[in-house]
Amino acid sequence: MNREYLFRRLAQLVPTVAAILLASFFLLHLAPGDPVLALAGENGDAAYYAAMRERFGLDRPLGSQLGTYVGNVLRGDLGNSYVQGRPVADLITERLPATLLLTGSALVISSLAGVAMGIFSARRSGRWPDFTMNAAALAVYAAPVFLVGQLAILLVALRTGWFPVQGMSSADSEASGARHALDVAHHLALPALTLASQETAVVSRLTRVGVVDELDRDYVRTARAKGVGERGVLYRHALRRPLLPVVTVLGGRAGHLLSGAVLVEVVFGWPGLGRLLVTAIQTRDAPVVLGIFLLVAIMVVVANFVTDLLYSWLDPRIRYA
Amino acid sequence: MIASRVLAAAVTGILLLAGCSDSPSPNGDEAAEPTSGGTLVVAIDSDPGTLNPAITTSGATHTASELMFNGLVSYTPGQEPQPELAESWDVEEDGALYRFHLRKGVTWHDGEPFTSGDVKFTFEELLFELHSRTKASVGAAIESITTPDEDTVEFRFREPYAPLLRQLDVTEAPILPEHVYGGVDPLENPANNEPVGTGPFKLQRYTPSAEVRLVANRDYFREGMPKLDKVVMRIIPEPANQVIALESGEVDWLFGVPGPDLERLQDSGKYDFLQTAVNPGGANCIMTVSFNLERPMFQDVRVRRALSTALDAQQFLDRVLFGQGKVATAPISSGIPVGHADNLDGMPVFDRAAAETLLDEAGWVRDGGGVRKAEGVEGVKDGTRLAFDFLHFPGFASYGQLLKAQLDAVGADVKLVPLEPPVFVETVFTSRKFDTNIISYCNGADPEIGVKRMYVSSNIGPIPFSNSSAYDNREVDRLFDEARATVDDDERMALYRTLQEQLVEDLPYFWLVETESTRVFTTKCQGFSGSGHFAETASCST
Repeated sequence: MNREYLFRRLAQLVPTVAAILLASFFLLHLAPGDPVLALAGENGDAAYYAAMRERFGLDRPLGSQLGTYVGNVLRGDLGNSYVQGRPVADLITERLPATLLLTGSALVISSLAGVAMGIFSARRSGRWPDFTMNAAALAVYAAPVFLVGQLAILLVALRTGWFPVQGMSSADSEASGARHALDVAHHLALPALTLASQETAVVSRLTRVGVVDELDRDYVRTARAKGVGERGVLYRHALRRPLLPVVTVLGGRAGHLLSGAVLVEVVFGWPGLGRLLVTAIQTRDAPVVLGIFLLVAIMVVVANFVTDLLYSWLDPRIRYA
Repeated sequence: MIASRVLAAAVTGILLLAGCSDSPSPNGDEAAEPTSGGTLVVAIDSDPGTLNPAITTSGATHTASELMFNGLVSYTPGQEPQPELAESWDVEEDGALYRFHLRKGVTWHDGEPFTSGDVKFTFEELLFELHSRTKASVGAAIESITTPDEDTVEFRFREPYAPLLRQLDVTEAPILPEHVYGGVDPLENPANNEPVGTGPFKLQRYTPSAEVRLVANRDYFREGMPKLDKVVMRIIPEPANQVIALESGEVDWLFGVPGPDLERLQDSGKYDFLQTAVNPGGANCIMTVSFNLERPMFQDVRVRRALSTALDAQQFLDRVLFGQGKVATAPISSGIPVGHADNLDGMPVFDRAAAETLLDEAGWVRDGGGVRKAEGVEGVKDGTRLAFDFLHFPGFASYGQLLKAQLDAVGADVKLVPLEPPVFVETVFTSRKFDTNIISYCNGADPEIGVKRMYVSSNIGPIPFSNSSAYDNREVDRLFDEARATVDDDERMALYRTLQEQLVEDLPYFWLVETESTRVFTTKCQGFSGSGHFAETASCST
């Protein structure tokens, strides 16, 4: 990979993020609804609406509002929430760790579990464990994540009592340090498994298909003929190539997981960005929505970029020009 | 094999984590006798964002913060004002001057003394600027607020103003300290999330999107209160998940419960219930059908009366609200003693045959068994079908379905249009592109707060939740003005009765059902009230 390519890719990131931000700005401002409604409740009068619109600059033409917003973003200022009156950057940074913990855990779980299940299936290709695994993967992949979450709460948490159903820590807990970490991990288990479910299915299918293909190849047959054990054949030879597409979808999966996190956070009362986003959209709190969109856009674009780099590193035959 | 081990290790690790920490113990097996102290865990449905109840009317903020503040007065269950931060008051000059004598020795959570200056500051700098209800009502009528001394505050109005004493509780007018909230832009004051009040509880910690933790204010001015040591408010957005959290023992109190779950919880015997007219969006709410009077179809009162008479309110109460409320019997809620009029002549009562006759008389005739068509209706082309849209919040879909079925039976074709609240508001109040709709109009504690806005002709326009039907009757406008300036309760009630007789005759709206919320709590906790200070007198056994 040459340096010119690297710079070119980096330069593409900027217009991509800018285009996402512009489209979001116009979609949000052209959609019906007034952010003052969330503040006024049922009983605001005309004077109240006029005063608040002026305060937020909503009485100015859209072009002028956009100019101000872009200027502020370039200076690193995402503005203040209309509804909460606090800096958007603060609102985001307060909730980002919870979302990263949830999506990060789900990414790790889905990668490990997906590869493991794919291998399990591939080694039993054409037999009933493989069919069962395939059917299960397809069912999980087809199920919307909020449904999986509700089922997990009803069938796992409530039936067994092993897992809490809401939040990130116990209400009556004042614990700190290791006990607090355990409490959070306890609360994290079910939402992370729920969020990971679809991705696990995707990864397991990709791995299975790749490994089955690979196990049929001549070099594998040669390795076996040379007396290499089945485990060695699989992990030293046959697994390398099937992992490539798994890594390729990593970037896309990061974006997919972030969007899934919105639903999972609502279902499990997980205090992350997703819930902030849902509330902000409902109340037409444009600075908050745009701030989150900007952050997510940057995260997804960067994740894709890193995936490209990783891909060429993993497979030296791949060269970018 | 390694992969299988990795999978097994991952699952085991998670299960181990689950086993390591204390799992919540199921509750309600036995109803222990509540004692003083304890922690109450409450479910709230949205993140308050700010904990300053003086700068917003947001239900989320008020629910989460009112326990930390006080009003000048609070209300008895019969809605009569009783002393809170004000110990007593005099009403002079026919209601144009109110003089409040403040409670002595009250301190803020930071130890500073509470004075009349704080009251003047709160009204002038916060409530009249940013609390939409108080700004639109008291703020529009006030002439001046003066503080003759540290313990006295006087409100002078341009003309007699009757409803003041019903607009001074912690919901309508929470009092905040000037030394904390003064001199800073009130919308951006850091104290909005680290509030200082006089209320029974103090903030321990607010974790955005997760929880609000309160601890008892041991210097509270009411002797022996509060009894609880702590109140933890957990933010759980979905009503169904709130119920699950209650049943799994993670929370002790819900502000409301979906109808279908109510019966199950009642049957379980593990919970107690408190019925109240205070809903998250406001108090004394009536589900109200608006007829857009700008549409030719609805200009004949016989059509409005026919459609209202075709609606069986009792079915709405049973099937939609699962009994949580009552059938509305007047335009003003029965929760407002000074406004509600009983036994109004002409209030529509369900009678399908009468509805059919009225529609026939109005020129909407049946062609066979189907939808009615216009025949000689003024302003409507002959042959026009009796078809109209019905706009509602997605959460009110079950009202729409039942209404559609009931009106279908009298030959009206209703098209249901569910719209998210911001879009609903814009469509109904700004662009006015609708025929009928349903709105939960919350009447508040006084007709001046939440009733007048629906009817006065000056309130037809782009302001949300104003005069949705575009009703214009100058006599009604005059009666509202006269009632506002009449301090004597009996005289005021007489004016509101006359007014409601006129409304029932004109039927710009149909008042379907008064909604109530059912608070649900575990039997280990007792002593709650329905108001903003619901937990002031509560206690939980540990």
